[in-house]
Amino acid sequence: MDALLTKTKVADAGTTPAQPKIKITGSEALLNSLVEEGVDLIFGYPGGAIMPVYDALYHYADRLTHILVRHEQGAIHAAQGFARVTGKAGVVFATSGPGATNLVTGLADALIDSTPLVCITGQVFAHLLGTDAFQECDVVNTTIPVTKWNVQVTEAKDIAGAVAKAFFIANSGRPGPVLVDITKNAQNEMIEPVKHVRCENIRTYKPKPVMQQSQVDAAAALINGAKKPYILAGQGILLSGATEELKAFSEKTGIPVASTLLGLGAFPTNHPNYVGFLGMHGNYGPNLNTNQCDVLIAVGMRFDDRVTGNVSKYAKQAKVIHIEIDKAEINKIIKADVAVHADAKESLTALLKKCNANKHEEWIDSFTKLNDIEYEKVIVKEFNPSGVLTMAEVINHLSNFTKGEAIVVTDVGQHQMTTSRYYKYKEPRTNVTSGGAGTMGFALPAAIGAKLGIPQKQVVAVIGDGGYQMTVQELGTIMQYKIPVKIIVLNNNFLGMVRQWQQLFHDKRYSFTEMQNPDFVKLAEAYSIPAKKVEDREHLQGALREMLAATTPYFLEVVVGKEDNVFPMVPAGSGVSDVLLEAPTN
Amino acid sequence: MKQDFTLEITSDNNFSVLNRIVNILNRRRVRIKKLIAHEDESDFKRGVAVVLLFTTADMIEKVKHQLEKLIEVEHAVYYEGSREYCELSSKHTAQIV
Repeated sequence: MDALLTKTKVADAGTTPAQPKIKITGSEALLNSLVEEGVDLIFGYPGGAIMPVYDALYHYADRLTHILVRHEQGAIHAAQGFARVTGKAGVVFATSGPGATNLVTGLADALIDSTPLVCITGQVFAHLLGTDAFQECDVVNTTIPVTKWNVQVTEAKDIAGAVAKAFFIANSGRPGPVLVDITKNAQNEMIEPVKHVRCENIRTYKPKPVMQQSQVDAAAALINGAKKPYILAGQGILLSGATEELKAFSEKTGIPVASTLLGLGAFPTNHPNYVGFLGMHGNYGPNLNTNQCDVLIAVGMRFDDRVTGNVSKYAKQAKVIHIEIDKAEINKIIKADVAVHADAKESLTALLKKCNANKHEEWIDSFTKLNDIEYEKVIVKEFNPSGVLTMAEVINHLSNFTKGEAIVVTDVGQHQMTTSRYYKYKEPRTNVTSGGAGTMGFALPAAIGAKLGIPQKQVVAVIGDGGYQMTVQELGTIMQYKIPVKIIVLNNNFLGMVRQWQQLFHDKRYSFTEMQNPDFVKLAEAYSIPAKKVEDREHLQGALREMLAATTPYFLEVVVGKEDNVFPMVPAGSGVSDVLLEAPTN
Repeated sequence: MKQDFTLEITSDNNFSVLNRIVNILNRRRVRIKKLIAHEDESDFKRGVAVVLLFTTADMIEKVKHQLEKLIEVEHAVYYEGSREYCELSSKHTAQIV
């Protein structure tokens, strides 16, 4: 039934009765609340238990744009892409049961990567809860471990409050995904209109810690006395909007900056103080010098095991300063000598005042010398190969052609590490990837969300042939809404990163990693997306330029070396000083 | 070295709060020896859980912060040994009775 027609609006002609109260459904209360929270874009997929919401949504087309994806996982990754580039919470609609469980991977991904989301799931009628009703699943208990907060609403009057709380929690402190599960009776229930009041305080939740000046003073004292200080920039810089503060702090103190995977874009890669990318496939200098610095300043990062390698061999010589908004991250992996439990922007602003102007040219030169070794041993060969195309040369051209200014969305695997190494990110919120969870299938839908979030930016998804096929159905979404994302599949007919590990650590036993792929060009064309395949160097640059110039979606398959590896590499269980520049010969 | 710790958690008394608390302990594979949980007698919107755990000092400190990260948890306090568990559980049991 048309939701709007259920409104009571009778007034007899010729009389002036008291204005009757207009009732609305719980579904309308939900949509009103979303509008009040500033939402204008929703990614979703309808189903039985959320039909009242979709029925109401039909009448909100002037205020809410809904993107019909092809799978709920596509919806949540698209919402993640949107959130990562805009800084605003992404919104998802899904139905009960399988609709909701299909969100779980994206929720886990968003939780570990601190991405604000508000997911609305339909649920069976309240009287059917716990009865194994059709498409009933205990979504709240299923998603407790993968959400920052979740709640089930069984009465329409509670919807507005739950939505307000959801947005406050998702966006504040360390951001994260929130799920609101609404029973169908609550969606249908008629109530007096409820004024949506934004939530600004929850008694038990303190998202913004009060910075302690004593902690800042202690950190400044260490920094001012340091000979080889070193900044590790994490995503917290981006989340708190502290990129300018980081730049000012690094420039005043002369301290070199390296970036985590999710921190890419927090500091310009062309800045003289930028020394490279950290982690398992990071640059040589940043990894080796982690064990040479005397003061390690970790800002908005959580010492992921892909960054630290073996923690018993990690920065043992250094005093560690950890600036972090999430108290549970402090001392979780690496013991901090000085912990600044505060927002990154606030902390860097305070440190900027307390730290002395300095230069550390010799120390920065040591990074350059090490990175030069990597350049000679690894990068030159990858950029100028004689045989088959390499992932590195594709990304190098892409970076040059887009001047490092595109939003680049990557999936998970070799192509992701290659892109992180060679794309020269210049701007905040232009690197969108699945970090902590390592979710294959992330990139294609996330690119959709990123493009819809910042339509004026060039958005390029770089994906491997394995991950591409995990959410390839979202080509349908791209086709339907004519979303001009550019898709590059780096095809090596392998699950490349797993194969690399099999080669290096499992005596080259390629156990179920080789893939027979479909004709990707025909597949894209089936979705009316212009497509091209490149297999040789002669046509690569032209194809990339054609792709970037297209005003439509565009698919480009690049066939790369089947058994190429990504180096440098810190083998699992090794320390960051044990980074390899090439495969061991034995 | 593992030993007994008494953990007292005060929180809102919402559906699933106890699940959230136990989830964190389970995920860290912290052994729960005893547990008592109840709503606040004077305000049913609030609740208390007292848990006797067998774990290390390092782990209990980490778990405390992870519990305090839960939106509904007001705070978590821990004590070495089981003596406080006995005292707190009998105090809370008396309240319930």
